[in-house]
Amino acid sequence: MEFFDLISPLFVALVFAGTVVGIVFGAVPGMTATMAVAVCLPLTYSLGLANGLALLLGLYVGGISGGLVPAILLGIPGTPSSITTTLDGHPMSQRGEGETALRIGIIASLVGGLISLLILYLFAPTLADFAIRFSYVEKFLIILFALTVMAALSSNLLIGIFSGFLGIFISLIGTYDVSNGGNGEYRLIPPGTEYWLDSGFSLLPVLIGLFGLAAILEEAEVGVPEGQKADDIKHDQQRKFSLSIFKGQLTNLTRSSCIGTFVGILPGVGGSAASILAYSNAKTFSRHPERFGKGEPAGVMASESGNNGLTGGALVPLLSLGIPGDSTTALLIGAFTLQGIQVGPLFIGNNPSVWNAMIFAMLLANIFMFVVMYFAIRQVARIVTVPKQILFPVILMMCVIGAYTINYGIMFDVWTLLLFGLFGWLAIKLRLEIAPFIIGFILGPSAEVYFVKSLESFGDLSIFFTKSWIAVLLWVLIVASVTGSVLLSRRHARDNGAD
Amino acid sequence: MKHFRKTLVAALSVATLLAQPLLVSAQELPRNVRLVIGSKSTGGDTYQNSAIVAEALAEKLGINIKVDAVGATAAFKALARDKRGTTLMIFHDQSYLGLLYGQKGYDNPFDTYKIGPTVAINPGNAYLVPKSSPYQSMDDILAAAESGERVRVAIQPGGVSEIGFSAMKNAARLRKAGSEDNIVAVNTGSQSDKNQAMWDGLADVINGSIQGNEQFTQLPEDDHKAMRFVWITARAATLEQAPEAGMGNTTRDDMLQYSSPKVSVAFDDSNDFTFDKEFFFLYNKEMDDAIVKQIDTALTEVFADGAIQERQKAAFFIPNFLPSDAARAHLVEKSDTYRDVISQITAQ
Repeated sequence: MEFFDLISPLFVALVFAGTVVGIVFGAVPGMTATMAVAVCLPLTYSLGLANGLALLLGLYVGGISGGLVPAILLGIPGTPSSITTTLDGHPMSQRGEGETALRIGIIASLVGGLISLLILYLFAPTLADFAIRFSYVEKFLIILFALTVMAALSSNLLIGIFSGFLGIFISLIGTYDVSNGGNGEYRLIPPGTEYWLDSGFSLLPVLIGLFGLAAILEEAEVGVPEGQKADDIKHDQQRKFSLSIFKGQLTNLTRSSCIGTFVGILPGVGGSAASILAYSNAKTFSRHPERFGKGEPAGVMASESGNNGLTGGALVPLLSLGIPGDSTTALLIGAFTLQGIQVGPLFIGNNPSVWNAMIFAMLLANIFMFVVMYFAIRQVARIVTVPKQILFPVILMMCVIGAYTINYGIMFDVWTLLLFGLFGWLAIKLRLEIAPFIIGFILGPSAEVYFVKSLESFGDLSIFFTKSWIAVLLWVLIVASVTGSVLLSRRHARDNGAD
Repeated sequence: MKHFRKTLVAALSVATLLAQPLLVSAQELPRNVRLVIGSKSTGGDTYQNSAIVAEALAEKLGINIKVDAVGATAAFKALARDKRGTTLMIFHDQSYLGLLYGQKGYDNPFDTYKIGPTVAINPGNAYLVPKSSPYQSMDDILAAAESGERVRVAIQPGGVSEIGFSAMKNAARLRKAGSEDNIVAVNTGSQSDKNQAMWDGLADVINGSIQGNEQFTQLPEDDHKAMRFVWITARAATLEQAPEAGMGNTTRDDMLQYSSPKVSVAFDDSNDFTFDKEFFFLYNKEMDDAIVKQIDTALTEVFADGAIQERQKAAFFIPNFLPSDAARAHLVEKSDTYRDVISQITAQ
């Protein structure tokens, strides 16, 4: 079937509908692009392959992009890949620049999506060949590199690193899963809790507990001042947005988009690592790293172009090797399977029309995402003007629904949400650092698997230094990132001392 | 008092009316059914097969069935919680192999659950080597082990992926006692990990599938990713039911060249080891027998219609419907066979 036979008004309408629904899923805390694709996957049966993919790709792009809305406006990452958007987007929102932050995030998302799409279209098979040169060793070093952002995000280096390691420790609770190459044994599970903790704590309930519920508890402790009106709440609707904010950020945008794409092409590294690495690099190479985490627009640009860069990248191994690049593309492969189509190294050559239709759907999805979100900003941004006594119960309800549905109805996930909400609230009082904790929690399991597998496969620790030139390059980046963080921390301490 | 009596009678009447649908539904499947599967992947054979069966069954009974890819542990838990028939499960031989290999989270399915009908076989379980490998066949591999050469096999431990590996060790032992020690497992996770282990030079042989690896076998030999089938574990009688065109560029006749009797992995002195990956329903132990019968009857009619077989074959499954009782007897016997293989290996 020819490319133009596959493109129809229905195809375009499905991309649009998918993008809009995806944005909604991404914007609701606890609901993700993966969930949106999972819900709609059975529909692809009746839609056929091209139309089914149109819907799913719209959901994918929309779902990844929608996460920036709650991250910026509410301080709750809508999806795990928008954690680093929260770090600068929410402080911007708190100082009345929520609308600006949203516009920056949406434009950066579009740039990231389009750059990754271009890379996908031009270099997919070549990049897939490059990706398979990354063994367990290189993948571990990439995760280690992403983990160095824990230091970069800490206001107190020691406490930040401790919080990060605590996150790693808690992430390892559960079974060392055989599907990840583990031995299937329980570890770190307190006796008597095996029934609930055999799969450990799920990421999303932990995430929205720490960022959403903890913040609500903290606000509840302070209380809402009597007589507060919507107009009292900061809102930058009077300010005019100017593209000049992107001046000098071309390198940041391009680098972050490429990092997102690159992480996407490496199966198993995980989508969250894309935005974390992009953010970490933006901070390392910034002239003003001290502004990061306090409402720096460059941080939002890096994070959003990084996580949307992932969308094209994750399709590279899927369509060139039949191997999904992240959890959402793992679901996308189901659409092919349901239609009885093999995805592997011959897919693009054997199915040029489907391949072109997918690229076209991705392009449309990115454009629709931009148009829908950009022109809805003014209305969406008004969410911060909703009185807290109304807003917070609604957020709490959405968080609970999201936690309950993430694993298809597991009540323990709701208890996880509440437990980590409470932990987050206490952690703030104990001056533990939440951002490094959650980054440790996200990356911990991958770090464990790749570290153990590297040693199982190659024998001793020297392999991390001698495996390949890629490993050496990664060590250079790791050392640069750690050194930068230490120097910044010292400068910060010196400045505080001088004050 | 009169007023109270009237209220009581009215309340009882309403309660009886409301309870009626529940009483009825206790003996048949409810309107909305959740079909959990033992895999977390929607791209794998368990989801694909379950989706085909769920759609046909739902259409036959006029109900809604939603397939949830929750994974084995969560699926077993969900099944154990629900005896009303709201939650059903489809899984494959991993259900009992998990127990035989001592995996956490696996109980004896024949004691813990009701076994429902079998619905299909995936004949695709396979072993592959790099195209540039010195091993051209299973015989080469077993001969290498016999001569003291170490052969590394990438598998996911504890189930379907490992059973063929256990059989290889058993065949090596039969060939020359002690040579099984030269066949060693490289524990990996997903299919991509197994492929990667091959490309990294960490494994000489990998477990894979016709569906997942066939395209790699079509690559030219100078391509680093190119692979070659050396063994397809399905019985020849099963493969012969596959479409003649096979899958991709590998025809059914090509596939038969890699399965018993053309490729021999000895089970004992007179038989080859074979393994068909079979999909079947599992139910809560206390689910009403009337529901079991309802599903059996509905699936009997579905398979009698013949349309589902076409869909299954198009997706490279072999239709294999057996009603609950026959399915249970068949699977118990199959489980006993593989228990022997595993115990012979672990006894070494």
